[in-house]
Amino acid sequence: MTTYVLRRIGVGVGLVLLVLTLIFLALHLVPGDPAMLLLSQGDGGSATPEAVARVRAQLGLDQPLLTQYWQFLSGALTGDLGESFRNGQAVSEAIGERLPRTLELVGLATLIAVVVGVPWGALAARKGGWFDSVTSVLTSIGVALPVFVFGSVLILVFSLELGLLPAGGFAEWGDDPNRHAQVLILPAIALAVGFASTVARMTRSAVLEMLHQDWVRTARSLGLSRRAVFRKYVLRNSLTPVVTTVGIGVGTLLGSTVLVEKVFNYPGLSSLLVEAVTARDYPVVQGVVITIAVLFVSINIIVDVLYGVLDPRVRR
Amino acid sequence: MRTSFTSRLRAAARPRTAALTAAAVASMTLAACGGGSGSSGDPGTLRFGLSAEPVTLTTGVWQGSATNFVLTLIHRGLMTLDESGELVPGLAASVDTPDPTTYVFTLHEGLTFSDGSPLTATNVKNSLEYYANPDNGSTLIAGLQDIASITADSDTQVTITLEAPSNAFLEFLAVPTAAIVPDASLNADTPNIVGAGPFEIEEQNEGVGMTLAKFDGFYDADEVELDEIDVSYYADGDARANALVSGDVDMIDYVTWENFDRVGGTDGVELAAQPGPFQYVQFNVTDGPFADPLVREAVAYAINRDNALTAAFQSNGEPLEGVVMPEDATLEGVGDQLWTYDPDRAQELLAEAGYPDGFSATLLATSQYTFLQDTALSVQQDLQAIGIDVTLDAPDWSGRLEKGAAGDYDLAVSGDVGIVTNPTYLLSFVQGPDNFNRSFGYANEEIAAALTDGLRATDDAARVAAYEEAFDLFATDVPFASIDTRDQAWAYSDDVEGFTNLPGFHTFFSGYTLVNTSIER
Repeated sequence: MTTYVLRRIGVGVGLVLLVLTLIFLALHLVPGDPAMLLLSQGDGGSATPEAVARVRAQLGLDQPLLTQYWQFLSGALTGDLGESFRNGQAVSEAIGERLPRTLELVGLATLIAVVVGVPWGALAARKGGWFDSVTSVLTSIGVALPVFVFGSVLILVFSLELGLLPAGGFAEWGDDPNRHAQVLILPAIALAVGFASTVARMTRSAVLEMLHQDWVRTARSLGLSRRAVFRKYVLRNSLTPVVTTVGIGVGTLLGSTVLVEKVFNYPGLSSLLVEAVTARDYPVVQGVVITIAVLFVSINIIVDVLYGVLDPRVRR
Repeated sequence: MRTSFTSRLRAAARPRTAALTAAAVASMTLAACGGGSGSSGDPGTLRFGLSAEPVTLTTGVWQGSATNFVLTLIHRGLMTLDESGELVPGLAASVDTPDPTTYVFTLHEGLTFSDGSPLTATNVKNSLEYYANPDNGSTLIAGLQDIASITADSDTQVTITLEAPSNAFLEFLAVPTAAIVPDASLNADTPNIVGAGPFEIEEQNEGVGMTLAKFDGFYDADEVELDEIDVSYYADGDARANALVSGDVDMIDYVTWENFDRVGGTDGVELAAQPGPFQYVQFNVTDGPFADPLVREAVAYAINRDNALTAAFQSNGEPLEGVVMPEDATLEGVGDQLWTYDPDRAQELLAEAGYPDGFSATLLATSQYTFLQDTALSVQQDLQAIGIDVTLDAPDWSGRLEKGAAGDYDLAVSGDVGIVTNPTYLLSFVQGPDNFNRSFGYANEEIAAALTDGLRATDDAARVAAYEEAFDLFATDVPFASIDTRDQAWAYSDDVEGFTNLPGFHTFFSGYTLVNTSIER
């Protein structure tokens, strides 16, 4: 088992190193000079060649590519991800601020999706008839609805028309907990709609499948009520595929909050990455990608190890 | 048995129902406690939605409008702009000009920086000498290169002598980047956050916003009514407009054109628009058809400026058939009519240049700024009409900069402002090193000489004559082909009073007028 775990970790470390190299090369191959961008933010930005050269030197971009790569690699391996070209903030600090915000948003969206999706899907399977048909239509719409469209509708209704919730933005919990919670509600709902629809559909089909199992009929013939059988046996057994769906969904959400963050002006990790790519802020792009890569590789290692625990044949 | 199951199920259901009800009530309570209708604003605090997060502040260097906005609040130079856009003394209490090349500035008494250190004539000398040194890469070099000497006569008096007269010199000193800063800030590594402006940075929250507090050491602190400016970054134009309309913020900059009607039509919201930057076509003149001035002139006559304005700005702006000139009665009518929309004339010019059947060319724009892409599409159509087969190249802004600086294009669409309104801003289009937003490989010493004569002129007649000569040459040599000026808008709640969107290129310096701004809730 130890050899298996070590082998998995070794592959993981190799993957992270590969990602580090690929992202470094990709960034430097894409056209664009960060120094010129810093000095040319829109109109009036005809910087002098001296100014551009000075900023390039300041950022270390005048060094040979191999030197830059070595500095980047050695920094990353020692936990020093560098500083943002744009505002001088330590990249690890920026990620430390942004990642929890995205996790919080994804966490709340997941909670809403599960709390709404599971009972909804279960009820649709159990009740059938018109309720099931309506559920099928609504969940189809929910899955297909672009998040930026639904987000804009939420803003229109709850912010601009009713004035109940902020149209976007962010407030630190420590500064204003009430506003912190308020600004989370609409983006979380926007993010949760598609997810809840998927969960509901998965729950519905899983429950329908279980309802036709022989042991359900057996339980009924033993005198258990329909509701008892449903709650105690059918629903519980139906949740395995739903849990898998939720797990995959959370992973997908982590990487796809960018549109919601844009519509609601929410300063999360995705918007940091997009802003950094646009500004060719190499250290920030590299730092965020490394973080995401490490997260994904770690999750994969954990899953692989769990498979190994559950099924000894996998360890070979 | 059945009863028992049912009871248990009901019992189990109750807490969940209660929890859901509690969650719903909590959401409604949260919504009711403050909501989005501006109820959380404190008296004396202006909540501002800024269109971008400022980069590390570096005075002397032009870093874009968002950074300029912050500079207008925390810094001051010797000169500034008042609420009507007039040039007035800033840190200087007065300025005397005993002769056209000598300026004597008398500073306000007791000036200090926001870190408490005194601001003296020596700081003025050191700051301006730093910006005037080409090695330091300051954008102000165009205006400060005329300085022959700076003398700190006393703690509160500075004398600046120019090598030649310059009727733009004082305006350069009012540019937000011409801030007077402590000596310790005069290097490439120190963020220039210590200034002598009306506000000081109290807190910065990267990616979210910053809080600026009134600086009591400001020379005109008694006139400053705002206690605090709470800046939030809203990079997206729609999100920014939503924030204002919903009452999340009191004021925003850079209202995007598609939001003009919505924002302007909202009760309780004012939209203040002024003609600002100009759009134009630049050329690669190193070889090919555009090396020929006749072809460039043909392009200038081929552009349907009304169409371009509608396509890119929903007609919020003005067609530009010449160059942008300052609001100066003496220069009225000078340089404003160089080319009209005349496709027949354009085709004649192309034939005269030896291209009666047209030719193919690439037009560089950018996909990142929709208005530049839309302008390019309109220009593409106009040029197709006279036989120039144009292929659009629209990389992101970074790619656009790199291709523009390398001359990797035949034609390009750009937008720009002068850092001053004085026509000397045009010098950078006809002389000096290539950059991304001027015609690649282009130089015209005759135009440069005439513009310089205008800059040096000490009487109106000589000034007008110099610019007329410059623009006669401009019309036929076509360093760039103008398209339009676009409206640049700020918007604010009715609660905000005293703010002015300054006209022309100064629209980006309108933050200066927050000195006179108040908010009544």
